[in-house]
This record gives sequence, structure tokens and C-alpha cells, in this order.
Amino acid sequence: MSIAAVGGLAGRMAEIVGERHVLADPAELSTYECDGLTGYRVRPALVVLPGSTEEVAAVVKAARAAGAPIVPRGAGTGLSGGALPVEGAVVVALSRMKRILEIDLENGWMRVEPGVINLDVSKAIGARGFYYAPDPSSQSVCTIGGNVAENSGGAHCLKYGFTVHHVRGARVVLADGSVVDLGGPVLDAPGYDLLGVVVGSEGLLGIVTEVVLRILRKPEATRTFFATFPSTDEAGAAVSAIIASGIVPAAIEMMDRLAIAAAKAATGLDWPDVGAALLMDADGPASEVELTSENAIELARKAGAIEIRRPRDEAERQLMWKGRKSAFAAVGRISPNYFVQDGVIPRSEIARVLREIGEMAARAGLRVANVFHAGDGNLHPLVLYDAALPGQEKAAEELGGDILRLCVRYGGSITGEHGVGSDKAPYMAVMFSEDDLDTMGLVRCAFDPELALNPGKVFPTPRLCGDKPGPFRPHPEEAAGRIWRE
Amino acid sequence: MSAGPYRPPRAEDAVLGKMPGAVAEPASIEEAAAVVAETSRDGKSLLFAGGGTDLEVGGAPEALDVLLSTRRLDRVAEHAPSDQIAVVEAGVPLAVLAQVLAARGQRLALDPPLPERATVGGVIAANAFGPRRARYGTARDLLIGVTLVRADGRLARGGGKVVKNVAGFDMPRLMTGSLGTLGLIATATFRLHPLPEASATLSVAGLAPGMLRALLGRIRDAQLEPDSVVAFRTGGGRFDLAVRFEGFRPSVAAQRDRLARLCGEASLGIEALDEAAARALWERHDEARRAGTVRVKVAALPSALDSVERGVFAPLADALGDAACVWYPTLGIGFAGGSPRDAASVAAAAAALPSARRTLAESGGSLVLLAAPEAVRTAVDPWGDAPSAVSLMRAVKLRLDPGRRLAPGRFVAGI
Repeated sequence: MSIAAVGGLAGRMAEIVGERHVLADPAELSTYECDGLTGYRVRPALVVLPGSTEEVAAVVKAARAAGAPIVPRGAGTGLSGGALPVEGAVVVALSRMKRILEIDLENGWMRVEPGVINLDVSKAIGARGFYYAPDPSSQSVCTIGGNVAENSGGAHCLKYGFTVHHVRGARVVLADGSVVDLGGPVLDAPGYDLLGVVVGSEGLLGIVTEVVLRILRKPEATRTFFATFPSTDEAGAAVSAIIASGIVPAAIEMMDRLAIAAAKAATGLDWPDVGAALLMDADGPASEVELTSENAIELARKAGAIEIRRPRDEAERQLMWKGRKSAFAAVGRISPNYFVQDGVIPRSEIARVLREIGEMAARAGLRVANVFHAGDGNLHPLVLYDAALPGQEKAAEELGGDILRLCVRYGGSITGEHGVGSDKAPYMAVMFSEDDLDTMGLVRCAFDPELALNPGKVFPTPRLCGDKPGPFRPHPEEAAGRIWRE
Repeated sequence: MSAGPYRPPRAEDAVLGKMPGAVAEPASIEEAAAVVAETSRDGKSLLFAGGGTDLEVGGAPEALDVLLSTRRLDRVAEHAPSDQIAVVEAGVPLAVLAQVLAARGQRLALDPPLPERATVGGVIAANAFGPRRARYGTARDLLIGVTLVRADGRLARGGGKVVKNVAGFDMPRLMTGSLGTLGLIATATFRLHPLPEASATLSVAGLAPGMLRALLGRIRDAQLEPDSVVAFRTGGGRFDLAVRFEGFRPSVAAQRDRLARLCGEASLGIEALDEAAARALWERHDEARRAGTVRVKVAALPSALDSVERGVFAPLADALGDAACVWYPTLGIGFAGGSPRDAASVAAAAAALPSARRTLAESGGSLVLLAAPEAVRTAVDPWGDAPSAVSLMRAVKLRLDPGRRLAPGRFVAGI
């Protein structure tokens, strides 16, 4: 886009959202050059911060009239480059839309704007005994809109499911600026489950401006334990044994030697220097969690646990979880640089795959720390490297890619929760056939035939949509749904 | 049309009065894909059928050249107990699948009525569910991967074989509840659950809507976690509540006793059912869900039971002489069914439905016709008013089925 065109569009946007909510200054724009995946940076043409559904719709229409691509953005904590701008793009940042609009405890839902921080949802209802289940590690900063776009998970999705299980409805601004309501507080609205498709669509299908969340009564009790093992083999066997016994833990997390060392360095926890550790939560009725957590401990012992620790109180429990949740960032203390990977394998293959990853890392002359959601086989290998050493960054990137291929070979996925974004778009073709991707592309074309929303993400090679099939200008009878044109 | 897996249609193949030109019974996914590809070349219309338990849902097909039965797509392709997943072909009846999974101590937590007939593919396409939805959700929540045969005969996969997976658009959810209008669900990959060690069903009789709501509030506040909660409407706008706990023995016993105490404190009579009585009760549930030649599904907020009773259940029971009404109080979903005795009763039902639908729509709810005689169908649209996203739904339909050959006219707003 030319400088004059950007200036004109900025003026039009200012009319819609107010001048102070349009950023065009290079210094201001630099904040929006990347998300949590800081390796890729592209400066957008403009950043616009709308304050309402109507403003989002008008902003989308104005951007489209100017031919500018649109990149929606939440808190920018994503790790796959899902909010990476493209050249000439208008970034639509939802951070001003942070109101909680409605709370209905009896019927178990609340309506929020997309800029509401994940943890603030639970805070708003916590005193009354309710909470919002999805808990990505970034939950104190990430926002609901981004969670919806990425179908965010978290440690506790093993028992409770992902964002998609906890979203009942959404108001969505489509690529042409029109507004639709999908689902709502009442279940089972007739029609296709387009809400289920929009959740996790990484900003390619629309911009969510209101979300109806499902909220839950807090469980009566939670029991947590921390178990150490000689290696990830025994820890993996413990996970399999626990799940096979019929226990559904609320969360079961694994850390390997490097990740434990990093978490200790960052938090000062007195965790021992061991080959692997598990952190498990059981929650539910007190009568159930007493039993399941004791049974799980017994199974962990049988699998070869060295030591079991039970937190004495809630504060100590929180500290254990803090150790786990800070492990990603903590790795920065033991390595100058690292890539966070995110792949999924069948949980029964954890021990085998971790060994293979170790061997691959050794061959590449690199170290990999593992801290991940073991219950659902969602690995987070952290590939450590030193960018100052020539060739290491490239080797680390290649190792990361090889790990994804390994996951697919074992029947898994290239992403369990971080999304495809721009980072993993090339790997979609490893997991899906051309026809698979073409079919998803058809869905995209139905929502956004001009491919204006968040281009460059998810699809390895974008398919053009071709002519819109079916009725262009509906006959009145068509509009009324009484006739159809073939 | 080539020889292939075709047979001439029989009387029982008719769908809502429409006789198919031919019936295809492919024995493999590849053969099914070949049938679909052939209809695509010939511009023929298609309808997919499983066990036929929900073929009365939706509008009558506008055209029906070929009925593709999934009857012979009957393999449980994979069961990985340690990963708690199964890959199943569309034509496998739920009861058959249940047997295979139970041999390894697991189950698919989907329990719609008629499991001997209802097939995996049909249950997904109709998004059919039973009482365990209260805890486990529907096919939408348990389906993690799908292979579909597109309208052009190409095979496409979505999702995968691991529970946690956010790669690509969620095709399994798009297929769930799409009633065969977007493609043939050829295989499905499900998340499984362990078979519970114990189960306990309790029943509280004769609750008025307000009492029912209050009791549910108490169950929630006591942080009990039932797997099924169902209210059966009895005479005079009262409801018998059934609550089932499942899981490990001590926990089931503790929750059962806790609920009994809660009812005691509220001076409500509660009965803990023995195994035979519990089985009979859940059978009664399945019968009630399938009762009558006029059947509807209603959705409202759980707190709206009072207005559902006054605006929907009572008028329908009046119109039909009698109606079996089931309400899932934690979900806000109900079913009502009855058989009109005469023409006057048919007319009364046809008149009662639109006003019941209006009552529900006022607060964001819906009423869907699941089955009805022709006379009711001509008077009442099976789906009701077009949803807000109808243009988008049509766009999705036309991208995936540009010739509009798959079950034309069956779905919402004439899709």
C-alpha cells in the first residue's frame, strides 16, 4: 500500500474508532510486528483498536474497501505466529473490548468481550464458587478472543476439554463486515455447527466480538501430588498405568531432567535432581479424589517412582504448579535461546518418542528439555541452542521440524494447542493430504472468498476460491428460502 | 449406472415418502467413494442412511436418485485401549461397538435410544444423544477425527487420532449434526472412556418445575457430579427426576448417600433403585424419547422449565391427548412425543407447535420437529425460522456440495 493510501485509510479508521485508537507511527507499530513467536516480524500498515462489534464491522469493511488484508490480534501471546502481520495489513487488536457483559450462574454461562483476560473470567465468578475451565499457562495475560481463535487448552483440559468445549456461542464479524451470531446461551441451535469450526480457526474465518462461555461449579476437592522418577521411561509408564486404571486425572504433567533444573533455577523450588517428574491433579467430589489420587500414587510407585510429595496446603500446591507453569520461561536460564515446540503423540508412546527425540537431539548436537501434558500426549519439546554459535539456530529449527514429523509418524498431530499459525503452515502437508487441505480450504472460501483474513496462516499453499458457487443476487423467493438456484 | 454395489429399492427404503431410484450398499470406503463419484458425474442426488432411526428428522428430500446405505461399512477398524480411542466405520451400530469396547473395559459415552439400530455415522450426522450427555457431551465432544467422502467422491480427513489436536479446521464438528448434507461420514475416530466400576440411579417423584430447579441448585452446590440427570413429565405438570452416578464404587456410594441426605433435608422422598429397577427406568427413558408419531425436540435455558411446561409440554399433551415428555434439566433440552388419535388431534398438534416454537424463540430457544405425519409437516417447518447465520450455512453447503445433490431440502432453511 502506498504511503498516501495508508494515510487515507488511517483517516477513515480514525473516523470509525477515534484518532487515538489508530496506530500508524512506526514506533507504535513495532509492538505489533510479532506475537509470542518473536523470530518472525512484519510491520503492519496500521493497527486499529475498535471498541465495539459495530466498530469492528466498520473497520473490516474499510480495510476491505482499501484492499488491505486483516490480521486479528488478542494479547499476542500465541507461540505459532498466528497474529503475525503481513505486508500492508491492518491489525485489528481487540484489547479495548474487555467487558464482562452478562453472568448467569444458574444456567452456567457468561457473555464476555474478546479482550477479557482468561484468568479474569474465573476471578469474576470465583467468589460464588464457579470457574472457567480452560487454563493455558499464559492465562494471566492471554485473552478469550485469542483462546477462541487458537482453541486453547491448558493443563486441565485432560479432564475438562479445550476452549471449544467451553464456548456456547459467539458474535462474529465476517470478512465482508457482516455480523452473525453462532450458538448462544441455549444449546443446540438448529443448523451447522459453525461455532465449532470458528473456534480454533486461527483468525481465518472471522473476528469474534462477543463470546458466550460455559462456566462450571468448582470441584469439591482437589488432590495434587508430585512424583519423581529415574527417567522418562518410568514416568511414561506411570502415566499409562494411571490412565489404564480408569482414573481421569484433572491434569498430569511431565518434566524431564533439564526442565526440572530450569524450573528450580527460576523458582527456587527444592525439587530433587532426577530424570523425570510428574505433577498430577485429581479433582471432583471429595470421596472420589481421595481414592483416585491414592490409587494413582500407588501406580506411580509400582512404575518406579523414587519419591512422592503431597503439598501440605494450597500455597504449597500453587508453588508446585508455579514450577510447572514457569518451566517454559525458566529454560531461558539454562540456554541463551530456545524454540518451543508443540506436538501430540498417542500417550502410550511417550517413553519411546522421548527417547527418539533424545537421540535426534544428540545427533544434532543439541539439547531438548521436555515439559508437557503427559495425560494427553501433548509434548512441548524445548529445543535449546545458542544463536551466537554459527549454524545452531538452523540446526535447532530443523530438529524442531523433525520432531513434528516424528509426531505425525506415530499417529499424532503437529500441534496440540499452540496452533498452526505461520510457523507450522509448511508442516500441515506432513499431516494432511492435498484433498484434506482442499476440503478445509473450501470451508475457508465459504467464510472468506477473498482470503482477506489472516493470510499466510494455517494453509501451506493457499487455494484460490474461484467463483462463488450458488446464488449471487438472490431472487426474492430465494431470499425467503422457498426456491434454490442450482 | 454401473453394476457396482447397487440393488433395486424396496418399500422400506422410502425416506419421508420419497422412494429412491436405487440403493447402493458399498462394502468398503473406497466403494462408497466410487458410488459418490459416480453420482457426481451423473448429477444424481444422494441420501446417506445408517440404521434409519433418525430419517424422519428434517424435510423430505427434494430428490432421491440413490440411497447410499452404510450397512456394510461395518468394521471397527481400530481400538487402542491405552490411548482410549477407536476408529470405526460409519455403519457400525452403537451396540456392536459397545461390545467390542467393553471387552477391554471401555465405552463410547454416547447413549441415544435404539443402540441396536443406530449407527455411528447416523448418530454423528443427527447429533443424537442420550442421558449421559449431561457429563460427556455429544458426538461433538467425543468425535476427534473423521474421514468423509466429499460430494465429488474424494476422500478427506479432518481431525486425527489423538484427543488433543488443533491442526486445521475442525471438520469433525462441522460434520456433526449436518444430516448428511455436506458429505458422507465414512469413518469416525472417537475418544473413549473407561467403563465405570459402579452405577447408582436415584429417583425423586412428583416435583413441580420450581422444586426441580431448587433441587438441581442443591446438587450443584453440593458439588455432586452425576453422569445423567433426567426429568420425566407426569400428570399435572409434575416431574419425576432420575439421577445417575457412575464411577468408582466408594465415590458412587458417597454421592448417592449425599443426594439422599439433600433430599431428606428438603423433605423430598427419594428412592435408590436396585439394578433391575434402574435398568427399567433407563429403558423407560429410551421409550419416552421414541414415543409417538409426532415428536419434537425443544431447547431453552435450564431455568426456563416453567415456561417450557406451560408453553410447550402442556399444550402438546393437550393436543395429542397424551405425550411423553423428557427434560434434561442440566442442559435445557427436552423431548415430547405423542400420537394424534384423529384428524382433529392432528390439527390441534399442528396448531400447538408454532405457538410452542414462538414461546421458546422469545428467549433464544428452538423447537425442531423430529417426526410427524404429512399433515403436520405441511403446516409446520421442521426446523423453524432460518438462523442468523443462514447465508453462511448456505455458503458452506455450496462450497462442499456445489451441485446441491446431497440430501437436498433436508436441512435448516431448505439446505
